[in-house]
Amino acid sequence: MKRRLSLCVAVLCFAPLGFAQTPATTPAAPAAAAPTPKPITDADVAAAPVPSADARAKGDPDGALTGTASDIAVSDAKKGVTISDLVNQVGQDKIAINFVWTLITGFLVMFMQAGFAIVETGLCRAKNANHTMMMNFMVYGVGMLAYWLIGFAIQMGGVGAVANLGGTPPLNAEHVITLFGKPFGIFGQNGVFLVHRGTYDVAVMVLFLFQMVFMDTALTIVTGAAAERWKYAAFIVSSFLMGAFTYPLFANWAWGGGWLANLGANFNLGKGYCDFAGSGVVHAVGGMTALAVSMIIGPRIGKYERSGKSNAILAHDIVIVLTGCFILAFGWFGFNPGSTLGASSNGSLRIGSIAVNTMLAGMAGSFGAMLYMWLRYHKPDASMSGNGLLAGLVAITAPSGFVNPVGAVIIGVIAGILVCISVEFVDRVMHVDDPVGAISVHGTNGLWGVLSIGLFADGKSNYGGSWNGVTGSVTGLFYGDNGGQLIAQLIGIVTLVGFVFTLSFVFNLLIDWLVGQRVGAKSELEGLDLPEMGALGYPEFELKAEM
Amino acid sequence: MIVIGILITLSGFVISVLSLALQSNAARLGVVLLGLAVSLFGIIGVLNRAYLKNAIWKKG
Repeated sequence: MKRRLSLCVAVLCFAPLGFAQTPATTPAAPAAAAPTPKPITDADVAAAPVPSADARAKGDPDGALTGTASDIAVSDAKKGVTISDLVNQVGQDKIAINFVWTLITGFLVMFMQAGFAIVETGLCRAKNANHTMMMNFMVYGVGMLAYWLIGFAIQMGGVGAVANLGGTPPLNAEHVITLFGKPFGIFGQNGVFLVHRGTYDVAVMVLFLFQMVFMDTALTIVTGAAAERWKYAAFIVSSFLMGAFTYPLFANWAWGGGWLANLGANFNLGKGYCDFAGSGVVHAVGGMTALAVSMIIGPRIGKYERSGKSNAILAHDIVIVLTGCFILAFGWFGFNPGSTLGASSNGSLRIGSIAVNTMLAGMAGSFGAMLYMWLRYHKPDASMSGNGLLAGLVAITAPSGFVNPVGAVIIGVIAGILVCISVEFVDRVMHVDDPVGAISVHGTNGLWGVLSIGLFADGKSNYGGSWNGVTGSVTGLFYGDNGGQLIAQLIGIVTLVGFVFTLSFVFNLLIDWLVGQRVGAKSELEGLDLPEMGALGYPEFELKAEM
Repeated sequence: MIVIGILITLSGFVISVLSLALQSNAARLGVVLLGLAVSLFGIIGVLNRAYLKNAIWKKG
């Protein structure tokens, strides 16, 4: 027992020595210093491996050999690829991406002309089909001519640098006046015939195409409101003046460096008048002009009784009306997302959000209109459902780049209901005849779209850290703005209602006084196809003259 | 009447631009809304009414 106890004590006493005898770890040697990065030189870049000519000659089924260092543009063949070449290539690729994006979306917007043409023709009577289609067909050419001659210069001649397109430096002459001690841009001065003062420029060409198709959208709106009684010659003169002066003037103020856009920088009103893709610039300008022309030209014969009661004049082909609405909705994917003018940098990756907002608002607009008509008249009216879709699309056009999907749906639903109420007001209260509802779809909802930015812009967008020269994101009242943005939008609205309407009214009044806007009663009753165009749109139909 | 209507409509725009001379946003808002009302009155209350007096559907 004593021996065992001694043994235990010995173990207990000497055990720690065993641990103590564990040799101490050798302190770690200090980590080797990280090697100094070696700068890449031109020689490194020139030595980047490229596929051999033999390998390429065998074909490239999986694409692994196509698009390599050998495709970099070289400034000096003797030196080969240099860092400078690489950097230039990156810059050019960014601009090329933005060019392609802007051009492709511009092509989509051009195709909207077909949508407008068949919507309007379908909503009118068959005896006017040729005339209505021809107005929509030639407004493309008439507007483009006016815009090329002078309109683009007035609108964009002083816009300055458009970063996404590489700068557009020739567009640098804005006529400015001083009001309240601040500069007020009024109109641009460079770009007449697209060669004036250096504007024969690759970036200016892209900008011209994109802006031109927007301008033509505004012009074509008027043809719907004045359809079935507008003299073709008067339409051409009226559209030319609108493309040359009315549209470009307001567009300069909003998009071309003019005073409306600078309300933020000059007067601390939010980010100034904001209009991402043109609820105001395109649709409300078109709607206000449509209202002016419709008032001057008067209603169709038989539209109103002597008591003032309105008679419905039915569409002749609802199938092409709704097909046209789909074409317009498709084209709108160019209208709104394309207004980023690029898909590379400066916030351009928001193109997905903008496209989704556009879709959602159109959908919500069609639901709003359909449900309103169903509840009020006990049937889901097809033509108003189509107009509801268009109203939603019009209304979201301005805020599309600044709102979230919930905001987009709310804006769209309100637009759908608003278009129905507006159609009733314009027709039954004002007694202004609008065969296609253009005043309500584009005018009323264009103004609603402009206003909605001042309420629903959520402050989350970021297009290069500023908008209209003011740092930060566009924010509306419901997301914490102090009301400045709403006031800027309201000033834009009054400009549309008070100035643009007046200018359009004066131009068209002059045309009416000089040559007359409206066809004679006999032509109108017979249908405009034969008297104005010399041929029927549907020569095999039996058409009837009607009151 | 048409010329008066044009002038009233345009004056609404002028009123709204004049709001920029004010400092407070509340005052600016009030003046801009006044300008909008004046322009709408010019269009609906004066110009449209002038055309409705001689409307085609009122004639025999």
